[in-house]
Amino acid sequence: MNENLFASFITPTMMGLPIVILIIMFPSMLFPSTTRLVNNRLVSIQQWLIRMTTKQMMTIHNKKGQTWALMLISLIMFIGSTNLLGLLPHSFTPTTQLSMNLGMAIPLWAGTVILGFRHKTKASLAHFLPQGTPLPLIPMLVIIETISLFIQPMALAVRLTANITAGHLLIHLIGGATLALMNISMTTAFITFVILVLLTVLEFAVALIQAYVFTLLVSLYLHDNA
Amino acid sequence: MFQSLMINVWVPMKPYYTQVYQEIWVGMGLMSLIIYKIRSADKRAKALKGSSPAPAHGHH
Repeated sequence: MNENLFASFITPTMMGLPIVILIIMFPSMLFPSTTRLVNNRLVSIQQWLIRMTTKQMMTIHNKKGQTWALMLISLIMFIGSTNLLGLLPHSFTPTTQLSMNLGMAIPLWAGTVILGFRHKTKASLAHFLPQGTPLPLIPMLVIIETISLFIQPMALAVRLTANITAGHLLIHLIGGATLALMNISMTTAFITFVILVLLTVLEFAVALIQAYVFTLLVSLYLHDNA
Repeated sequence: MFQSLMINVWVPMKPYYTQVYQEIWVGMGLMSLIIYKIRSADKRAKALKGSSPAPAHGHH
């Protein structure tokens, strides 16, 4: 049972060849490019959604921050579509791998920090000390703020990994429990099945929310530094 | 193939790759440095474990 539980998280190979790159590139096939002035229904709906998200996310930024719009919107589309596709049975979700989430979090976080130090050096250094700190507390608070700065990429990556992995594991466990209970007591199996349906609805929400949270936090770090 | 790649990818994205994402490239360099350090430490640990096959807990 333990072997089966974690089997969906190993990087997939087909006849010895790693196909994880193909799986990561797959969601981009679901967003066709806009070639005409008036597109078909799928592209129009996607464009409307993307415009709505862009307006929502990018209004807080100044001109310099808004140059990151392409990166942030691509990020939320990628994480959202990858998480949602992972809810299909027997599919592999790349965002369950910590390596991939660290690969997304570290360059983006480091980019915002370096941007801040490059363009607004004094303001970036001032972030290490909140306003109105009493004098004796200053050394300790600078250390705490530095640690909290370096924790940011780890927190970004681990938050996404843990949420998606935990959701998938729960679905596996409760689905297995439902199957096992069917031979013992149909009522309990039915209750467990209702729990499974509710959990799946929750996982849909979590998939989208986690994408939003990841992108929002990167956008916040950008806003502090740009 | 490379010509279509240049026209469709590089030409529209050139200001992004050359100016806007400069800091992200530095971040990617930092990330590759971290990956290199972790891999080399792992290789060194595996080589050390392989060269000394005596068990860590000796028979008392």
